[in-house]
Amino acid sequence: MGYRLGIDIGGTFTDLVFLAPDGQVLTSKVLSTPDDYSRGIAEGLAAVFAAGQARADAVDQVVHGTTVATNAILEGKGARVGLLTTEGFRDVLEIRRLRMPVLYDINWQKPKPLVDRARRQEVAERIDAEGRVERALDRDGAAAAIDALLAEGVEAIAICLLNAYASGAHEEELAALVAARAPGVPVCISSALLPEIKEYERSSTTVVNAYIMPVVSRYLRLLTSGLHGLGVTAPLRVMQSSGGAMGVEAASTRPIHLIESGPAAGVVGAAELSRRLGGRPLIAFDMGGTTAKAALVSDGRFDRVGSLEVGGGINIAGRLLNGGGYHVRAPAIDIAEVGAGGGSLIRIDGGGGVRVGPESAGAMPGPACYGRGGTQPTVTDANVVLGFVNPAYLAGGSIPIDAELSRRALAEHVAGPLGLDLEAAAWGVHRVANATMARALRAVSTERGRDPRDFSVLAFGGNGPIHAAALAASLDVRRILIPPVPGLFSALGMLFPDTEHHYVRTFKHGLDQLDPAQLEAAFGLLEADGAKALAEDGYAPAAMRFERMADLRYLGENSELTLPLRADGPARDVLRVDFDAVHETTYGYHSADEVVEIVNLRVVARGLSSGPRVPDGLSVSAALGSRAPEGRRAVHFGPDHGTLEAEVVGRRAIGAAWEPGPLLIEEYDSTTVVPPGARVRRILWDVLEIELADPRGA
Amino acid sequence: MNEVPVTAGIRPVADDPFARDLVKNALATIADEMALTVARTARSFVVKEALDFSTALFDGKGELIAQGTCLPFHLGAMPFAVAAVMKEFGDRIGPGDLFITNDPYDGSTHLPDIVLVKPIHAAGVRVGFAAALAHMTDIGGRIPGGNASDSTEIYQEGLRIPPSRIHRAGVPDENLFRLIERNVRVPDKVLGDIRSLIAACGQGERGILELVARHGAERFDALCRDLLDYTERFTRAEIARLPKGTWNFVDHLDNDGISPEPIRFEVTLTIAADEVTIDFTGTAPQVKGAINCVYPFTLSTALACVRSMVDLSIPNNAGYFRPIKVIAPEGTIVNPRAPAAVAARGITGIRIADTIFGALAQAVPDRIPACGANAPDVGVSFGGYGPDGRSHVFLEFLVGSWGGGPWRDGMDACTGTLVNYSNTPAEMIEAELPIAVERYALVPDTGGAGKWRGGLSLDRHLRFKLDGATLQIRSDRRDHPPYGLEGGESGAPAWVDIRRADGRVDTFPQKFLTTVDAGDVLRVRLAGGGGHGDPMLRDPERVLADVREGKVTAGHARASYAVEIAGNPPAIDWPATAARRASRVTTTGA
Repeated sequence: MGYRLGIDIGGTFTDLVFLAPDGQVLTSKVLSTPDDYSRGIAEGLAAVFAAGQARADAVDQVVHGTTVATNAILEGKGARVGLLTTEGFRDVLEIRRLRMPVLYDINWQKPKPLVDRARRQEVAERIDAEGRVERALDRDGAAAAIDALLAEGVEAIAICLLNAYASGAHEEELAALVAARAPGVPVCISSALLPEIKEYERSSTTVVNAYIMPVVSRYLRLLTSGLHGLGVTAPLRVMQSSGGAMGVEAASTRPIHLIESGPAAGVVGAAELSRRLGGRPLIAFDMGGTTAKAALVSDGRFDRVGSLEVGGGINIAGRLLNGGGYHVRAPAIDIAEVGAGGGSLIRIDGGGGVRVGPESAGAMPGPACYGRGGTQPTVTDANVVLGFVNPAYLAGGSIPIDAELSRRALAEHVAGPLGLDLEAAAWGVHRVANATMARALRAVSTERGRDPRDFSVLAFGGNGPIHAAALAASLDVRRILIPPVPGLFSALGMLFPDTEHHYVRTFKHGLDQLDPAQLEAAFGLLEADGAKALAEDGYAPAAMRFERMADLRYLGENSELTLPLRADGPARDVLRVDFDAVHETTYGYHSADEVVEIVNLRVVARGLSSGPRVPDGLSVSAALGSRAPEGRRAVHFGPDHGTLEAEVVGRRAIGAAWEPGPLLIEEYDSTTVVPPGARVRRILWDVLEIELADPRGA
Repeated sequence: MNEVPVTAGIRPVADDPFARDLVKNALATIADEMALTVARTARSFVVKEALDFSTALFDGKGELIAQGTCLPFHLGAMPFAVAAVMKEFGDRIGPGDLFITNDPYDGSTHLPDIVLVKPIHAAGVRVGFAAALAHMTDIGGRIPGGNASDSTEIYQEGLRIPPSRIHRAGVPDENLFRLIERNVRVPDKVLGDIRSLIAACGQGERGILELVARHGAERFDALCRDLLDYTERFTRAEIARLPKGTWNFVDHLDNDGISPEPIRFEVTLTIAADEVTIDFTGTAPQVKGAINCVYPFTLSTALACVRSMVDLSIPNNAGYFRPIKVIAPEGTIVNPRAPAAVAARGITGIRIADTIFGALAQAVPDRIPACGANAPDVGVSFGGYGPDGRSHVFLEFLVGSWGGGPWRDGMDACTGTLVNYSNTPAEMIEAELPIAVERYALVPDTGGAGKWRGGLSLDRHLRFKLDGATLQIRSDRRDHPPYGLEGGESGAPAWVDIRRADGRVDTFPQKFLTTVDAGDVLRVRLAGGGGHGDPMLRDPERVLADVREGKVTAGHARASYAVEIAGNPPAIDWPATAARRASRVTTTGA
């Protein structure tokens, strides 16, 4: 039994979390090194090992969440890619789906394609929707097209031919031609990466993969050797957007799975906690400095979506409007994001309305109270005025603040113009911020046909525990959980993922005419891919598990619902029953007389961990300087309660018995607000559980 | 509370200045949730891939309080449906009722757009309405797809449903459902879409009832009124920032598909103090063909255009409409009298917008690009029966590129601000229909020349695999291509023909109906976007970049930009370019 190690990289900080066999969690925060993130990790770990707080050779599991893939796209630092496509379809990548992510905006600029027109070449060939060759591949023309790409100096080649989801024959033939003419140039073919219908989505995904592949594989090589250099020999695994982890080999060839690596980890942590609490349904709510994210977890599981966009910015209506970024068709945890966080700027709009974000004060100048020149009030400034946040310092004393600057900014920009007293203005800002963030929570609950009142809010991120109570109340949610080290909870989530590989294949068949043998064969192909990848990760066949799923819809419907395939009956029967039921819960109706169609088959290949079980008695000892919380302070709780004296305590001061609010639980990286009328206790894993008094509270 | 004096444009609400923001947020979320339901559960291509639908919420009196993030063209059209229902049923509207209309002269804007309106009651009192609208794949009538531009009376255009009660106290009227079922070519899709609209209305109802439960009916109503007032204030403040004056612009549709005459659109735009007036006086009389545009659609188009000139965060509700006045003389193509045919009014809406933007470009030349082809000028309707007797209907509207300027090139292949259309993936078409997509690509040299180049034309080639199928095309911008601005040239004109299976090429007027057989290829070329500014002022490096990407040929670079490019890799011949430009520049003002 050894240590588990989680490494989470953010733009500013890198978080390291060690879990010892006895349940002790040790955390460490070091500055990130954007020039080469692996260096910061190595330095941070070296310090921990040098201090004797953990032993390198005792680490037997390492999971890493990385922004390297995303940054390569956002910063335009990927490979110079060439694209081969079917004659007549050179511009699919640039035409995209035409749609704009914002309505009425004559200034919106569509992102430049990752492969410009000069590096997109057509080849004559044609495969039909059934996978039959209509026109053979023109090999001479293809050779010329490849040479033209090489003359453009491409460093990687993506291949995406029309209808290649139905047959990869021509793509494979082309890949062989590339290998013959340009050995050593990495090639990504769409039929291997994503044999799924819709040419733009498949092209974009294949191109993104080719674009980030060299960057990601180089980074993972450096990190692996850095870890080895420190004596950490446990295999490195990387967190995927889907919530599973994958080995370095798979991550290097299919880096599209790493796009939302970091945010996924927090939800994985929430899922683990949900399991520990008997499958309790949770809304994971992560509020940081510039954005707030929400995801839904129940029975220890989370929902996934089939695609995401990179670099599209944040868009509240993002589920209706898309096209803002680079489309990647890869499973990702269903996380909704809005542009509201502690640093979000507050302003009054032209009609006299109060607006929160999405503009942010960022780290520089930061909220007005930081005293770094910011004069516009932020959400954090409102929280300082209300007394939610310590008026003298943040982060356990490492960031001094000046509450007077918060008051001044809020008085000048909000309270003054609206003719309100300062507390009323601050309380209003707090509520408007909550209303904005509530949209993220609704996006994963009501929009999905789930009632948020059936869930507890698990709030983390530096600002989550401050807002959780009022936010939950606004959604009529009564129970709130605050995990240990809320600011580092994402890194904690890195301790729990299974190794997973996700595969998809389009399989368009009506359920009523489903041929079981054909279905079995199609699943067999996907599982063979999974077995191969798991074997590369070092899993023996006995430790492999395969989950079969199908994307289904009523014939002609727009989007599909993904259902697990039960094994307790003929596929066509169980899928029919399950689909009607899920359609009813999701959309409020089902239609027994309509034809149900399978569109895609999916397999999740899982490697069963032989690593240590996570103990129930998790307890966190921050290896961090932290000032002990002290005394009481005046806190404003809105017009119903007014300003009250609230006791300020540490997490350990809360026991297993309920304590009544108002209370502030102050820690190194966050403050938990327990409003009057609510009560709080400490449960498993040092989690704080808050129960609000009145489900109809404001 | 309306008597509280306005101070610096800001009027606090009596007891809770933030409650309005919360209600605003909640309403927008509910309307979007309704839209998501439609987007996910609709059956037809038009709804699911083109997002040709809208959702909206109203207060108890029928005033629009929120609209979903859907088709901008519908902004302002939905209130007419609710008004039509209220007019028809008055105090006979009860809890559990649900109403339907598609009558363009009574609540809708053309027959394919079916609108569902659900009154919302709390404790027996009406507290609001939820409404949802979607463009159906078919609505019966002469031509599959319900979009024919050659009908001359509304009676030819399909099933016309006046405002009718389709649920009474929660019980569906089976007769009405059966009537619809028997009158459309693809009843499963149409009824599926109607069911999806009903589900969305139900969701809207639940959302409003939750808000009413939280705030109380009276306070909810007061908050809604305050929200509309706030929106009006915000809009007026934004309009007040625009230059004041009167501007005039004229553009044309090529013809109505019946008579070859061009159709004139004239807009006189007046911005005075904090109000905008858009006057269509001078616009052509209503036409015989089915491109007449009923007033609600003209109004909503105008509202959507002005929307691009003001803060994007202004909520979509009736308060936004108040400072904007639209004058459309009765009997013109922008406000026809019944029974004028209106099915293909979308193209007229596009030209209305192009004309309004032409006028706005004079008012705010630093903000408005040249004319694009980024709204669906071309509509394709295909219908036929397979050997198995199965009916196939395919409908798509094609969207091209933006006009150039005033500070960038026109975006190649991107929807404009009026319709947020998506294209249909070729692979989906091929998997589900007897159609193969042979080409979908940008066309070099088709963007209007200018300091800022217009976006390129798009080619779309469809090969049919059925004999004896009906194909109906509605196109335009052949005789009147998208205009340039500030000395920029027009984009390339649109073109449509059919290459028959035997290789012969048939040409047609802009709007036509024909029969196609297996092997025939429809070849659509959309217009290119107009250019902005003098082409002689275009940075030669930008011309070179276009040549390198194959968006402009060396010949076009020379002819339209006086830029000499040669060699491999291509490079600018600077002396030759300087000489060429010197000889051209004399005729142009900077």
